[in-house]
Amino acid sequence: MSELHSVNPWLDPSQKPYIQIENVTKKFGDFTAIDNLNLDIYKNEFFSLLGPSGCGKTTLLRMLAGFEKVTNGRILLDGEDISEIPPHLRPINMMFQSYALFPHMTVEKNIAFGLKQDNLPPNEINQRVEEMLQLVELTDFAKRKPNQLSGGQSQRVALARSLAKRPKLLLLDEPLGALDKRLREQTQFELMDIQEKLEVTFVIVTHDQEEAMTVSSRIGVMDSGNLIQVATPTEIYEAPVNKDVADFIGDVNILRGIYKGQNDVGTQLHSDDSDSIVFATQEVGASTGDEMWFAIRPEKLEISKKKPTDQYNILNGRIEDIAYGGSFSTYHVRLDNGRILKAIRANRVRTEEHHLTWEDEVYLHWAPHSAVVLLS
Amino acid sequence: MKKFGNFNIAALVIGFSFLYIPIILLILFSFNESRLVTVWGGFSTKWYSELMQNQGIKDAAWVTIKVAFVSSTMATILGTIAGLVMTRFGSFKGRTLFSGMIYAPMVMPEVIIGLSTLLMFVALAVDRGVFTVTLAHITFSMCYVAVVIQSRMSSYDDSITEAALDLGCTPFRTFILITLPIILPAVISGWLLSFTLSLDDLVIASFTSGPGSTTLPMKIYSMVRLGVTPEINAVSTILVGLVTLGVVTASIIGRRQKQQTI
Repeated sequence: MSELHSVNPWLDPSQKPYIQIENVTKKFGDFTAIDNLNLDIYKNEFFSLLGPSGCGKTTLLRMLAGFEKVTNGRILLDGEDISEIPPHLRPINMMFQSYALFPHMTVEKNIAFGLKQDNLPPNEINQRVEEMLQLVELTDFAKRKPNQLSGGQSQRVALARSLAKRPKLLLLDEPLGALDKRLREQTQFELMDIQEKLEVTFVIVTHDQEEAMTVSSRIGVMDSGNLIQVATPTEIYEAPVNKDVADFIGDVNILRGIYKGQNDVGTQLHSDDSDSIVFATQEVGASTGDEMWFAIRPEKLEISKKKPTDQYNILNGRIEDIAYGGSFSTYHVRLDNGRILKAIRANRVRTEEHHLTWEDEVYLHWAPHSAVVLLS
Repeated sequence: MKKFGNFNIAALVIGFSFLYIPIILLILFSFNESRLVTVWGGFSTKWYSELMQNQGIKDAAWVTIKVAFVSSTMATILGTIAGLVMTRFGSFKGRTLFSGMIYAPMVMPEVIIGLSTLLMFVALAVDRGVFTVTLAHITFSMCYVAVVIQSRMSSYDDSITEAALDLGCTPFRTFILITLPIILPAVISGWLLSFTLSLDDLVIASFTSGPGSTTLPMKIYSMVRLGVTPEINAVSTILVGLVTLGVVTASIIGRRQKQQTI
């Protein structure tokens, strides 16, 4: 158990949070960007703030950096209230979305800039710059100016510059947003390696849910200035707290229905989408007649032409569209009532014996433990 | 590339002739041997050497350069601050009014600016001289600098400033080490622009000057009233050369800065 706790400090009540955001509110005029938000982040976490644009995630990050003042509440770093400390005195560094490299300085000078502000001796500055250049594999580019670098190189210079001062906390604002897909995936792993090697706490802002899932220890899903759910990527994906989170993270099929009660299988729902009764093993506190939803991920829906032997969790429809993705195919199935559900099937066999094609009559089936019951 | 039509060539020739023939004539006749301005008597640079003997013109030139140097430097400092402030503060109530007020001197008739500054100096009982001309020049050239700086700042990424603060640099040092070097080309072209504006101003200088502060354009103007001499052509040619140099340098710096940001 103790090992689990060191990996997941948020489960261990004896662990002290490294960053404490307490009842923080931020208003711009009449507009409330952050609404009474509370969040604890622990040492060495790779924490992602995820949400649609305008949800307040960047504002929250800028408050941690000190570029925005909190309207109400306070922010503690390692137990010390930093709410009133100006940005240049905070032991926090940030990597900007635009990279914000100084265009009139070489790569070397960009990285050394923060160290010079601390009046370190020149040989130590040189040594650290050298270290950073090696870390991001840009030693050969030390004398170049920012306008002579590619997007990926600029991104690494920005990272090196923000890490040079060995901050305890590094803030990253959409750090990979400007890179193409392949480079982005590669850089995600590099970021994770660097974070582990240097033992820095990372707080990253992103609107890319895949990126957040890949890199994070925990994700905070934000909407309209508040946190909706804070959990590990697996929990967010497999046990979202409501329809919005389920819908925002990954693809999902949502069945609406009326609560019928519990039985030995689990929660029982009467849905307009299915003739059979639908079950989920998850138990919820609800009373008969309540409206609720079942969320089922497309890869958890089994699709077949043969009617399943089970008597429950069956939907039938017709294949309307197939998106062939190489390793897997996504089927859009139109139910009799007109709704379209998505099912994903891995293409395990090269020549499909039970080949599915357009207009096929199919059955969708799922195990009772595959669906999540949502009350809102 | 599309070939120029005859009409286009004609329009071009007429247009440019209209603009430049007077100036070309002036430059040509400054190298005229003859004392008669409109009669060509062979090539000579004697009017330039004669110019060097003319104490009145030399005094006026010295006054002009002093005024231009001090006023453009002051206008650059004030105009840069104005341009930075206008971009830094984003939108606030009355912003349009403020920015409009900065640009107003650009479209205000020079006579009005001259007259109003004169009235102010009289009301404050300030003795008119080099000092008052300089002040008046700062007033009207400042807005040009502000415009140049503001247009530079519109493509300036604010997160560069924030990055410097974030790395532990104080706001003042950030301005000196980061913002100023980046916008320096714009500052220099603003300076050159106000320098040339001050150099060839006649109207405002006439209103605000006093004894001992005759500027070169004023001197030329008063000499012309007694008849145009080749000497005037010579001094005007020098002035044209200076202004051209300033404007060309400013535009080259501006272009290089544009390349750097892209």
